[in-house]
Amino acid sequence: MSSSSPLIELRHIHKAFGGVRAVEDVSLAVYPGEVVALLGHNGAGKSTLMKMLAGAYPIDSGEVRVAGQVAKLESPADSQALGIETIYQTLALADNLDSVANLFLGRELMTRWGTLDDYAMEKAARDVFHRLNPNFKNIRVAVRSLSGGQRQVVAISRALYFNARALIMDEPCAALGPEETRMVHDLVRKLKAGGVGIFLISHDMPDVFGLSDRLSVMKNGKTVGTYRTSEVTEDEVLGMIIAGKKVTRVAECYGPLGGMQ
Amino acid sequence: MLNRFQINALDLRLSIMASVLAVMAIAFHVLTGNFLTPENLYNIAQQTAVVGIVAAAIALIIVARQIDLSVGSVMGVVGVLIAFLMYTKNWHWVPASLAGLSLALLIGLYQGWLTSYLGVPSFVVTLGGLMSFRGAAFLVADGKTQPVADPVFLALGGGLDGSLGPTLSWLLGAALSALLLWNTVARRRNAKSHGFPMRPLWFDAALALFFVGVLLAFVATMNAYVLADKGAGQGIPIPVLIWGAVVMGMAFIVNRTRFGRYVYAIGGNPEAALLVGIPVKRVMLKLFLLLAVLVTVAAIVSVARLNAGTNSLGTNMELYVIAAAVIGGVALSGGSGTVLGSVLGALIIQFLESGLLLLDVSIGYRMVIIGQVLIVAVVFDVLYRRATGERMA
Repeated sequence: MSSSSPLIELRHIHKAFGGVRAVEDVSLAVYPGEVVALLGHNGAGKSTLMKMLAGAYPIDSGEVRVAGQVAKLESPADSQALGIETIYQTLALADNLDSVANLFLGRELMTRWGTLDDYAMEKAARDVFHRLNPNFKNIRVAVRSLSGGQRQVVAISRALYFNARALIMDEPCAALGPEETRMVHDLVRKLKAGGVGIFLISHDMPDVFGLSDRLSVMKNGKTVGTYRTSEVTEDEVLGMIIAGKKVTRVAECYGPLGGMQ
Repeated sequence: MLNRFQINALDLRLSIMASVLAVMAIAFHVLTGNFLTPENLYNIAQQTAVVGIVAAAIALIIVARQIDLSVGSVMGVVGVLIAFLMYTKNWHWVPASLAGLSLALLIGLYQGWLTSYLGVPSFVVTLGGLMSFRGAAFLVADGKTQPVADPVFLALGGGLDGSLGPTLSWLLGAALSALLLWNTVARRRNAKSHGFPMRPLWFDAALALFFVGVLLAFVATMNAYVLADKGAGQGIPIPVLIWGAVVMGMAFIVNRTRFGRYVYAIGGNPEAALLVGIPVKRVMLKLFLLLAVLVTVAAIVSVARLNAGTNSLGTNMELYVIAAAVIGGVALSGGSGTVLGSVLGALIIQFLESGLLLLDVSIGYRMVIIGQVLIVAVVFDVLYRRATGERMA
């Protein structure tokens, strides 16, 4: 790993919806060039935690540090400005707009007269889409008429074009065929090699064990444990997800160098 | 084939609607013998302007998955206020109109805030507004009619002296034609320099010439309407000029600005709009303020046309503008619709009204027919969206 200081640090994060404690005292970090998998049942609090990091939900209490600096994440724009990109499970696409408009949605390129620069956006979009999938040509039709894989390309291209420093991927392969899943895996490895820190939410054990350096399991809003992926077995991970049973055979691992950093 | 010409479902749909309009015009002309006359077309253009101005804005409101039922009542209270300030308080028409605009913006702020920041459904907010502001229109001048006489103000409503005259009309027609042609050339040049696929040259040229032809034919028709005691042709009526400016302005907002794109994104997927960082509430509030501005414009044109402000001004307007938008292809489910569609929708309604009137169809039958045409339009909309894959069965 290129760096020994965390890219993003979540410290003692709390979040409640009404009386329900969705996230309780969760701490987690990702280092540059590292993939951290986040696991747990539906409703365990993974997506809520990541939505707070993405700026979509306000944080009740706790602290987020980005590259050591305390960050104020009050809107998705705040997170984006810090280089945190998110690929949502729902993909967050406006189905009625085309791929180009969706790639730049919320961050359009403007001409010097303050109007939308459609040509610049289309040109940039063609480049990014081509990098992800050379066969993706019908970029000017509404996103609703695209295939699942193409829609995923559009969602992923946001992270790529805006040079994410940190990336949150919520079930990126859930709706994909084998070909497209491989595309996503390749991309994760490429971004990782480029020093991007990645949070990967997934239910899929091959995904988790194939891609992640560390994994953290949540249950009922709390962290069960955080380990080096290579040091635990699938059964132990399932035990943590289902029964909330901490693994004691190996030490927990809060950073790529191990120990309590 | 459609791909080569870069025609999408929207363009196709607008073409179908324009054809419906043309067929209606010809059918009415055959039946009555005097539908396609300069006089009748002049009157239709003038009468459609007020509905058209508001319909262009309500189209965007519906695109953003909202509705405004209060436009007619707000138009009423704003119109009466302007007329009241001019007649009873002796204000000049400019400050009076600005006062009307302020009131409309205040109402827009109130209803828009309730809708976007508190999350109260706009249907309910504006249903309340529909009743309240009609009442307020009565309260402004105790229900008394407020006549207005300022000749400059009256010209805004069209009428005998409220048109451009032949020379200015031709100049305007020529300028807009040049703009259309330049736009086509610029688009082709840009596409070429970026290496994007282009439509065949003859197709682009034919399209541009078609629009120029329609534009110049319109100018010629308006100029051909000669009032007996004036000698010269009327030319483009001022209300139509205002409507045209509004449509161009709205089309610019929709196609060229961030705000316009966000309105469509919110209509397409409000949740996604939030997640990608669009300030949804602010955009929504601005949208209601934009509508307020255009309702004021419509109120001014309307008062000027009637030479007076009455408390019934704009009654049932909400029904006509929503109908125009829906007939024009704006989906109530949000995210889809065009400003040009609202123009065609407003014209289709007015063609029907005018044609049936010329055929001496009584008011009862007219309402029955227009109501059913609205349903036909929506049925077509549902089937068309299904056929183009925009909506699941």
